[in-house]
Amino acid sequence: MAANLELSDIQGLVARGYGRLRAARLLLLVLGEPAPSRGWLASVAAQVTTADVDPRDTAIHLAFAPEGLRNLGLPEAVLAGFSNEFREGMTTPHRQRVLGDFDANAPERWRWGGPTTPAVHAVLMLYGASAAELEALAAVQVQALEAAGLKVLATLDATDIGDVEPFGFRDGISQPLLEGLGKEGPAFNVVQPGEFVLGYKNEYGLLTDRPLVPAATDAGRILPRDAAGSDARDLGRNGTYLVVRQLEQDVAGFWRCLDGITRAPDGTSRPTERTKLAAKMVGRWPGGAPLATSPDRDDPAQAKSNDFRYHAQDADGLGCPIGAHVRRTNPRDSLDPNPGSDGSIALNRRHRILRRGRAYGPYLPAEQALAGADGVERGLHFICLAANIARQFEFIQHTWANNPKFAALYDDVDPIMGARGPGGATFSMPATPVRKRVTGLPSFVTVRGGGYFFLPGIRALRYLSSL
Amino acid sequence: MTTRQVAITIIAPVPGASVDALEATLSRIAPDPANGPIPFGKLEGVHFARLVLMPNSDGAGSASPRSLALLLDCDAPQRTRLRQLVGAAGPGLDEVFQHCDGYPSRDARTPESRLAYLRAHVAPTAACYVNTIGRTVAQVRQESLLREEIEQFLDRPEHEWPGKSARQARAAIQQFIRGREDLRWARKPVPAPGLLYRAREAAHFAAGALLLLAFSPFVVIGALPYLFVLRQRERSDSARRLTPSDAHIAELAAVEDLLPQNQFTAVGDLKPGAFRLYTAVAVLWLVNFGARHIFNHANLAGVKTIHAARWVFLDGRRRMVFVSNYDGSLENYMDDFIDKVSWGLNAVFSNGVDYPRTNWLIRDGAKDEQAFKSHIRSRQAPTQVWYTAYGHLTALNIENNARIRAGLSGPMDEAAAVAWLRRL
Repeated sequence: MAANLELSDIQGLVARGYGRLRAARLLLLVLGEPAPSRGWLASVAAQVTTADVDPRDTAIHLAFAPEGLRNLGLPEAVLAGFSNEFREGMTTPHRQRVLGDFDANAPERWRWGGPTTPAVHAVLMLYGASAAELEALAAVQVQALEAAGLKVLATLDATDIGDVEPFGFRDGISQPLLEGLGKEGPAFNVVQPGEFVLGYKNEYGLLTDRPLVPAATDAGRILPRDAAGSDARDLGRNGTYLVVRQLEQDVAGFWRCLDGITRAPDGTSRPTERTKLAAKMVGRWPGGAPLATSPDRDDPAQAKSNDFRYHAQDADGLGCPIGAHVRRTNPRDSLDPNPGSDGSIALNRRHRILRRGRAYGPYLPAEQALAGADGVERGLHFICLAANIARQFEFIQHTWANNPKFAALYDDVDPIMGARGPGGATFSMPATPVRKRVTGLPSFVTVRGGGYFFLPGIRALRYLSSL
Repeated sequence: MTTRQVAITIIAPVPGASVDALEATLSRIAPDPANGPIPFGKLEGVHFARLVLMPNSDGAGSASPRSLALLLDCDAPQRTRLRQLVGAAGPGLDEVFQHCDGYPSRDARTPESRLAYLRAHVAPTAACYVNTIGRTVAQVRQESLLREEIEQFLDRPEHEWPGKSARQARAAIQQFIRGREDLRWARKPVPAPGLLYRAREAAHFAAGALLLLAFSPFVVIGALPYLFVLRQRERSDSARRLTPSDAHIAELAAVEDLLPQNQFTAVGDLKPGAFRLYTAVAVLWLVNFGARHIFNHANLAGVKTIHAARWVFLDGRRRMVFVSNYDGSLENYMDDFIDKVSWGLNAVFSNGVDYPRTNWLIRDGAKDEQAFKSHIRSRQAPTQVWYTAYGHLTALNIENNARIRAGLSGPMDEAAAVAWLRRL
């Protein structure tokens, strides 16, 4: 049914998150002179991990920002074929509103990717089975890129903290399954590959706009032909867009805030209530069990459960609150106008992202967090892939996560990561007879950097190196 | 008594030489339209207002005359609203409309002459949609305050809600309301439409139905030739992919998503010829009829996020203007329409030049997601001034508030009380 995916031309990050490669590092690069940069690119293109291999030791991926493509010599006319979001970047005033990047999250304060720091041209993503493999790989790569005149602007190191994210919740349970990659899963979770790889049909049955080059500029016939049938060659085919955002998580602040809210009248902490409030905010228990199917306790048997729906099992949000993090970033079957219907699920499939993020910073368990902040930064290098940044990533951020009006709510942004003003966030938990409401939730997540990149197909990398 | 809503459109010509000065005036008003020279916030019964300097037709020179449109979505009656506008905003209207042809000269400006000018420039509305007919600005604001008061009441720490039944909780809320003199009005539901109102609506519906019936033989006879011509046109019409420039997008995006509500103005040339004009007129007549009699309560064929929208013909029906006040981002708005009402979009907008190719008037077209979004963005025009009377409320919020208020009175069994409390 699905078009055959050209796995050997697609960068492997689309097909897998490299769960076995526990060490990861992102190098944010600035290119030097175009000619040596192209030479460097040619050699990296030959090393980039493709989707048809499942590496045991290391993996490499490379993505470019618009400035990087310009540096390599890509003409403006071709750049115009990339999406508006990619070309404008993450930090325009309108996009700041869309993504909630104001006040402490404002791009002016970012460590990278913002208007006050040098422009990032490219991101080199390195993975290793362990720290040893990663360091060896990184040493080789850095030497090669520096020899070609590139510089490392910033290094984003990941930390292996197991299967959890820094607040202590099991992460990465729910991912869309691309049709054609052969992974098993519930039917409602299977998504057309064109949602995540350019050049294939998306959930509308159409090809997402992608950058094309005139056939004359590809005399070497490196690039594939335009699948829509024109004479042009397809620079975007087998590529996709990559979103990176460094999100610092205030783990100590999070647990102390929740502890304060759930104290008994006599002032003693109530760990069970505290954990339950956190679970209500996330939508899953720390162990992973979904609140929609296991509302009262963390059921280890459901740790990786992803075959559930909201309308069918928890329409009123008594288990998993309507505004909880996982429910609002993936509403499944609960979207209007006919919640519970196949149509509702079809609507949902148009707004999925493939998450490939990695935690950073040492893990701080809740009990220790309550003793006080340790002054160490930790958080998530949020990474996702989408063929249509506006309809997928930005939509989730703006219309679901940061939207105080999500699902007919009034004032509720995502309690975990939704951007909030100085008054804090409100979080409503449906209950009988009357809802429980928490107000004044401070911010637990701060954006430290970010950017939109293009993750080219292998042939596209070779074409760029031959400009 | 039930108050309907009216869409008032005033279009005044602007000579080419005055465009710059008018733009400067409008950008002075733009930041605070509630309290500016035309203090929309002080006018009773104005839901939405905007001032748009209509863009030039494609091909017209930059010194060509333009049109200034003042669009108001208000509570009826129109006469009263215009009188109040002139009464509260004489100098402000002067500031804006002095740049327009025919506006009374400085020493001839009186409330009467201003009113006469506005009345003379009222343009007919081809079709309009109101989220819920009969809901006034006052009701929207009151019911919003009511909900906030109830929510704060529910938050009070002294309550011990678990263990109480829904009916008990509702009784407690009702008692709270009874104790508040300022919330007296909430004890009774909104009065149902009276006999006169219902009779008028029934008569309008009957007249429309009769009209359709009278036309039906012509429709039946004309269907085949119409469809033949339609298919021919659809195959041959230009359907160029329009790509909005980055600068155009940036100009529009600069004023989007500042509130939960957004506004949208689009202007496009109709495809030339009587065929497309009459198709547009007929479709808009049906839209208007449907909006008044079918989609008149918080739901436009599945889309629940539009507050008010209208279509107006411009330049002797050579161009069509579409104006909307809606919730959420434009991306979400367009997705909603593509996913739920693409047939409606196609029927109306395929009469515009270079709309993505449709088949049988209602198929395809908007379903070409990116082509449709590019087309809409290209046709979108900057709206220089935009006012909303309740910018922090979505249509779903407003409807929910109305149901909360309605649920305060009358008997309720436990199940109904449970459902009512879910709204809070």
